[in-house]
Amino acid sequence: MREPPYSTVLKPYGAALVELARRQPEIICLGADLTRQTETDLFRDQLPDRFINIGMAEANMMSVAGGLARAGRVVFVNTFGVFSTRRCFDQIAMSIAYPKLNVKIVGFMPGLSSPGGPSHQAIEDVALMRALPNFTVVEPSDAIETTLAVAAIAAHPGPVYLRLKRGEIPVIFEDSHRLDLHRAQIVVGGEGCEVCIVASGMMLPAALAAARTLIENDVGVAVLNAPVIKPFDGATVMAAARGSRLVITAENHTIIGGLGSAVAEVLAEAGASAPLRRIGIADTFGEAGSREYLFAKYGLGTQDIVDAAWDGLKINRPAPQARVVELSPGAYAPV
Amino acid sequence: MSGAPELNSVMLRRLAARIRLRATEMVAIQGFGYLGQALSAAEIFATLFGGVMRHGHDRFVLSPGHYVIALYAAAAETGLLNPQALATYGKDGSDLEAIGSERTPLADLVCGSLGQGLSGAVGFALAAELAGEDRDVFAFLSDGEMEEGQVWEAAMFAAHRRLGRLIVTIDANNSQVDGPVDSVTTLEPLADKWRAFGWRVVEVDGHDVEALRRAFAVRNDGPEPFAIVARTQILGGLRAIPPTVDGHFIKLDAALKAAITSELEAAIA
Repeated sequence: MREPPYSTVLKPYGAALVELARRQPEIICLGADLTRQTETDLFRDQLPDRFINIGMAEANMMSVAGGLARAGRVVFVNTFGVFSTRRCFDQIAMSIAYPKLNVKIVGFMPGLSSPGGPSHQAIEDVALMRALPNFTVVEPSDAIETTLAVAAIAAHPGPVYLRLKRGEIPVIFEDSHRLDLHRAQIVVGGEGCEVCIVASGMMLPAALAAARTLIENDVGVAVLNAPVIKPFDGATVMAAARGSRLVITAENHTIIGGLGSAVAEVLAEAGASAPLRRIGIADTFGEAGSREYLFAKYGLGTQDIVDAAWDGLKINRPAPQARVVELSPGAYAPV
Repeated sequence: MSGAPELNSVMLRRLAARIRLRATEMVAIQGFGYLGQALSAAEIFATLFGGVMRHGHDRFVLSPGHYVIALYAAAAETGLLNPQALATYGKDGSDLEAIGSERTPLADLVCGSLGQGLSGAVGFALAAELAGEDRDVFAFLSDGEMEEGQVWEAAMFAAHRRLGRLIVTIDANNSQVDGPVDSVTTLEPLADKWRAFGWRVVEVDGHDVEALRRAFAVRNDGPEPFAIVARTQILGGLRAIPPTVDGHFIKLDAALKAAITSELEAAIA
């Protein structure tokens, strides 16, 4: 794993999709008037015959994708996460999920990463898609994992929701990183640490930074990267959390129905007694604003994780302050 | 790949009557069900399955899954389905569910949630076009489901892409759950709406098999997608059914069944 500030790259998803589609002629790319924003201008320009702009008609797009998939195509459907889930949920359920079709829905601008306010902030998309039978739900946390996810979900037969950050994508993992659609990974610490933090997507860098601060203050911490929310790798979570005094989940999503809920279900069903603190959007809509402002205001910062650990462990002195990473243009660090 | 040999008008009229008869027998098992859908669409299904559509090659999309009874009846009458299977219609564990589903045989796509079928048909038509396949895509729609906005999203997009192998047949029977469609909202002028969306449109008496056949014959005569607005009656014009009966979901007692059966048998003779 690399150290913050992380370097960033542009369009890792778009580039990976074009590369894969060159080798797999059955891949079709659909969009809904957000071509550049979903990195699929690369596909449009390089494989125009297999790029179809459906226009601003997400319900139609999902059912068209179903028809194409029934005819043997592997269909990548691209738009913002709000429009690719909440706007057309019945179409996804009936035209894609129920018939288990080979459609990959790619939703950009997760959680509070969009400055556009509640209409553009997908805060419950993971909960919606996780509730649908037959769906796999994937949220990579960096560019390396995003590239791996494209090939992995294309190879997986059936519907997938891929949740992607838009814009500058940090590079956190080494090039040798691997993604398995059935596994979470312990990326810091090991089994039985005092605190076990399970994170996905944009909250992984925050979890790593919080772990660094806690470890410097003599708290044992494990960090799990959980890029696949469904099917959820409860075995790895239990292996890491068994013996922990506190489990913390960190997600850029409402704390209802997403990663925090998946971990809660695993802990409860195993009869594990460690208390759970869920870092995420606390059952509220967001507002317009910068990532820095919104993540701080809505409790998605590194310090929020440190504070949750301190409070959960009932340590009787002031919580340490997470280091602020100086950012140069084009670099990325968690809030 | 080839369907049934093309039937003449007399044979198509008999096929339509036999579809109604089969549907009546199926609904009689439980004493209630989606009989009106088969009564209203019998000639449309007879024409499609009586030679227009190449079953197993052309695509068939049944958008309103409540019409699946007409599909079962037509399939049984054209040798695509063992007629004995019809006795399981609507029963627990049967593949012949009362509202079509992924378990439904004999169609490429059946939707239970209304308004999604045309989009699926657009997907089939795009796939055929991309692959350069000689394949028509037939989508059966009802007028009531046109209250769903998705139908018009799909209609607009199909015309934009000039999907000339896409053929929509609309069973315009003016019936939906809460009553006549025109008492709930105004779809008219229906044919003009489809024309305005960029489709070639033919409007016919949906109980006239000859008119339906002529309409299907010109389906590939232009680059635009093609719609047939088939004007029908939810009770199929049967004199045996009192006009006050709720056509969307018919309660069928023994006396009504007997009256319908004798009227249809007279039509077949």
